[in-house]
Amino acid sequence: MLVTWKYRPRNTFIQRLDPRTRLIFMFSIILALTVPEIWDFRIILPLFFLSLTLYLMARIEWKDVRRVWIFIFILVIFIVGLNGLLSGRGGPSSVTNLPSPVLFNVPIKIPFTDIGWDVPITVSKTWFALTQITRMFTMTLLAIPIPYTIDPNIYGTAFRRMGASDKVSFTMDLAFRFLPTFARDFIITMDAQRARGYEIEKLNGGIPERLRKLAPFIIPVVMQSTVTGEEVIDAMDLRAFGTAPRTWLKQLTYALRDYFILGLGFAIFVACCVLKWGFGFGGYFVPEFFSNWILGL
Amino acid sequence: MTQPPLLVENLTFKYRTRPELAIENVSFELKQGELLLIAGSSGCGKTTLARCINGLIPRSYRGELSGKALLYGKEISSLEIPEMAQIVGTLLQDPERQIVASNVYNEIAFGPENLGLPHDEIIMRVDQAMKRLNIEYLRERETFNLSGGEKQKVALAGVLTMNPSILLLDEPLASLDPASAHEALQAFRSLADEGKTVILVEHRVEDALQIKPDRLLYMEAGKIKYLGGIDKLPTEIDHTQVKLPAPWVVQRVKTLDKVEETARSHKSAERGEPLVVFEDVDFRYGDDYPLILQNVNLTINRGDLIAVLGPNGAGKSTLVKHAIGLLKPTRGRVLVEGKDTREMSVAQIARVLGYVFQSPTHMLYAPTVTEELEFGPKNLGFTPEDIKISVSESLVTVNLKGFDEYPPLGLSFGQQKRTTIAAVLAMRSKIMVMDEPTAGQDFANYTRFMDALCNTTNGKHSILTENFASTLFITHDLDLAVTYANRVLLFGDKHIVADGKPEDVLKDTEMLLKYRVRPTSLLQLNLDLFAKTGEFLPAESLTKFVS
Repeated sequence: MLVTWKYRPRNTFIQRLDPRTRLIFMFSIILALTVPEIWDFRIILPLFFLSLTLYLMARIEWKDVRRVWIFIFILVIFIVGLNGLLSGRGGPSSVTNLPSPVLFNVPIKIPFTDIGWDVPITVSKTWFALTQITRMFTMTLLAIPIPYTIDPNIYGTAFRRMGASDKVSFTMDLAFRFLPTFARDFIITMDAQRARGYEIEKLNGGIPERLRKLAPFIIPVVMQSTVTGEEVIDAMDLRAFGTAPRTWLKQLTYALRDYFILGLGFAIFVACCVLKWGFGFGGYFVPEFFSNWILGL
Repeated sequence: MTQPPLLVENLTFKYRTRPELAIENVSFELKQGELLLIAGSSGCGKTTLARCINGLIPRSYRGELSGKALLYGKEISSLEIPEMAQIVGTLLQDPERQIVASNVYNEIAFGPENLGLPHDEIIMRVDQAMKRLNIEYLRERETFNLSGGEKQKVALAGVLTMNPSILLLDEPLASLDPASAHEALQAFRSLADEGKTVILVEHRVEDALQIKPDRLLYMEAGKIKYLGGIDKLPTEIDHTQVKLPAPWVVQRVKTLDKVEETARSHKSAERGEPLVVFEDVDFRYGDDYPLILQNVNLTINRGDLIAVLGPNGAGKSTLVKHAIGLLKPTRGRVLVEGKDTREMSVAQIARVLGYVFQSPTHMLYAPTVTEELEFGPKNLGFTPEDIKISVSESLVTVNLKGFDEYPPLGLSFGQQKRTTIAAVLAMRSKIMVMDEPTAGQDFANYTRFMDALCNTTNGKHSILTENFASTLFITHDLDLAVTYANRVLLFGDKHIVADGKPEDVLKDTEMLLKYRVRPTSLLQLNLDLFAKTGEFLPAESLTKFVS
């Protein structure tokens, strides 16, 4: 059986918004940053604060999202940030193409060989890493509150009313519940195998050997997910899902506040496109204050 | 002439992945408003037959199908799914497998929504179904937070809104506490009385007999062994294969003159030293969450055969997870052989206490049953010779000999469950803890392994069972407690409300009913004969005390 995220009703402006508004606004910001390839901190920073404001307005308790934020921090800072800092890739080519003062070199060496090289950390790469992190957080600040603040009963309806087909809408409904279900199965399986003397923390050997030893843990989790998937399909088949155009009982209606937020999202997207493509504003550059500050350190 | 709701003629099916026939030459016919009980052991073909009736075979499960299965004269395989779903409503064994929506109202409305019915029609059907099952109070609840009994009722309401004329109920009582099972059965009976044709596939035959099914279809190895009225059951059905009401068993044993042969008695173990001690234990999942355990004090001693009874969602599993160290108390402490579980790893505790989880799919991973059983002993550092002996004896104990090289995940649910019991058995822990060991099991199989674990069969000791110091099982099956326990814990209201000998705890009918435990015919017969027996006994053993 699929479980849901830790949703609870809160009397907030954010929760009073139509779920479609929330989703469309989030996609507007993501598209505004990615389609015209905005890398200018003067655009990114206001959007970051706008996302942060909306996040805080959702009034989600820290204990509910602590684990998710830890995961996001690791992902964004260590993977995205470190990648930007070391390689400078994943963004505009100007990050690596532009001549930029080298701050220091990071020696990289392939273990058990004599092969190695120095990776230069430049001012440009450093600024790029910071920009990339801010850009990612701007998007995640809008995404994280969604499962905690949108009633799980209206995911499907929201997508259907946005024009998706019955099948796609219900698939999205199920997909939203897949992750918390996976997490639950993960914990139960871990407990079941620990009760058989299995200690994941004591795995040893090389990577292939460790992967092999993870089988008692990975296989039941994957199997459980597969079985759950099959069960859901059977249960839906037995109640005639997908055989006729579906009636969706839940109704959604836009209010004035929804039109305001939708308008804001649309305006941001259009503004970013116009600034970038019309005026050439919004591309990547290293601001002078940052160069001066970091080189003066 | 009016066509019968269901006509099955020489139905045979073989799954693509299995060498043997799952069902063979099955033939029967059902009348409108008839209630048919289908019973049989694990893997006897009951579920396959159910899948042939609801159309999942051949649509979702591929294989070789021959013979006829007609719904109102139409071949099932020729019917479109929406048509099919409005004729046969299926309630699956585990309501968790059936529920797809996240809230009760959406779940009940799911079928009619899929049929594209108008809003008003859907709302009317949902309201009617909720009223019919008295679950209006659940309307806004999240489905995953419901108790087992509530989930089953919601799943049934979801089926009823499709307005089927045939109800196919596949072991609907498996996860229900006795009171919830009783309520569900009453609902099935009244649906049949209202003219719906009801097919009840159920292991809990004695429970199902309470609502007086019109006929019983008993299957063995894919074939019909008996099809007829329930009045002939005491003579037609082997009471060692199907759990019959205690007076029927007594009558049958007397008729067959097997009184001495079938007599069993409890292992009358002396209570020894304490193995697990709960001291003033409170537990909650977080600061904002309600208490699940409150002031629990319990000592499990050597020689205890403990049955834990109580309603769905009372916290029984939470209690035993403290003993294995998977959960730590928020107040108080749990000691395993004198050591605080906070200072021990789960793996260390596993040497003392083996815990069989409720769901087999959370445990099974290995390519063969043998490798699955070797996993625990290997983790605990057994020698290869000891592993071999443990695995072999465990397989015999749970009646899985011959399945050594089968992939565990390819076995039936009942066989998977027995594999998990064997996997923990092979670890030779001192205490065996089982969560609903009989769920999805047929009577013959669970009697076999419970006899071995609780050592009730005189003289038959094994290296595994001799090693056990104590057994604890959580169950909804009161007769399991009557037959195998020498101590009963009644759990409710977050703590142990009664703890004592079965005859002391189970004689208080009022208290049992308060905690959703319904007295059975076996309990009643034992209470009636207690002056003569001096202990609780299985039905066969009571025969010699019945004049």
